[in-house]
Amino acid sequence: MRVTGVSVPVLDQAKALEFYTETLGFVKKLDIPLGDGNRWLTVISKEQPDGPEILLEPAPLHFEPAKVFQKALFDAGIPWTQFEVDDVQAEYDRLIEKGVTFQMKPTEMGTVKLVVFEDTCGNKIQLIEML
Amino acid sequence: MTFYEQHLQKIKALCYPNQSHTDRLILLRKYIRQHYDQKLDLDHLSDIAYMSKYHLLRLFKRYYGQSIHQYQISLRIEKAKSLLRQGHKIGETCYAIGFESPASFSKLFKERIGCSPSVYQKAQFSIRFLNRKS
Repeated sequence: MRVTGVSVPVLDQAKALEFYTETLGFVKKLDIPLGDGNRWLTVISKEQPDGPEILLEPAPLHFEPAKVFQKALFDAGIPWTQFEVDDVQAEYDRLIEKGVTFQMKPTEMGTVKLVVFEDTCGNKIQLIEML
Repeated sequence: MTFYEQHLQKIKALCYPNQSHTDRLILLRKYIRQHYDQKLDLDHLSDIAYMSKYHLLRLFKRYYGQSIHQYQISLRIEKAKSLLRQGHKIGETCYAIGFESPASFSKLFKERIGCSPSVYQKAQFSIRFLNRKS
């Protein structure tokens, strides 16, 4: 078995694609129509093109418990997932410039520095830098 | 403050109670990153971290989840992947990251990445070729 992807539930796939590519800087990899306006939509990291794909899936639109779970995590400030960066402060500055909303400013916690932002599609996402 | 932030604070107090230890381990990790291609001498590392060898080995593993040796190997493998992607030969890559024998490098690379350096390199060229075409 191989790990090839991580799934992120999104409330609007077109908006998510725009945010994950134009704001965060990921690159679209797969975009397959699945009927009723749904897509098998994945993005990958520019720095790690052979790495896992992020599947931007519309589960919260079609399965109520998924929507409830996503909202509960969001309201508690719990990130759906996290991405690693070389410099959390630099990413924070870059994303603030692009108008991204942050829940937490860059914060050191032991041997990591982290920050949490909103992805505009129903999730909090954490960026982490190993110190 | 959110539920998540409250929990982060609890974890910080529980797992990182000694800021001096944290600072010294962060410094040591930076040193290892800068010298990943060299033989690391535990006595020297212990001097850098201002703590005993035993304490250092124990704390590094506790704070970073892997031993110093495992961490150094992971840095070497990451660098090897980068060099192979850039088209460096396997022998060059092996010596550049501090291995003394291509055979031991290839064996470890396969253990960590799941394929040999040559297979990895060919796959990377194929991915780049396909990406250019699309």
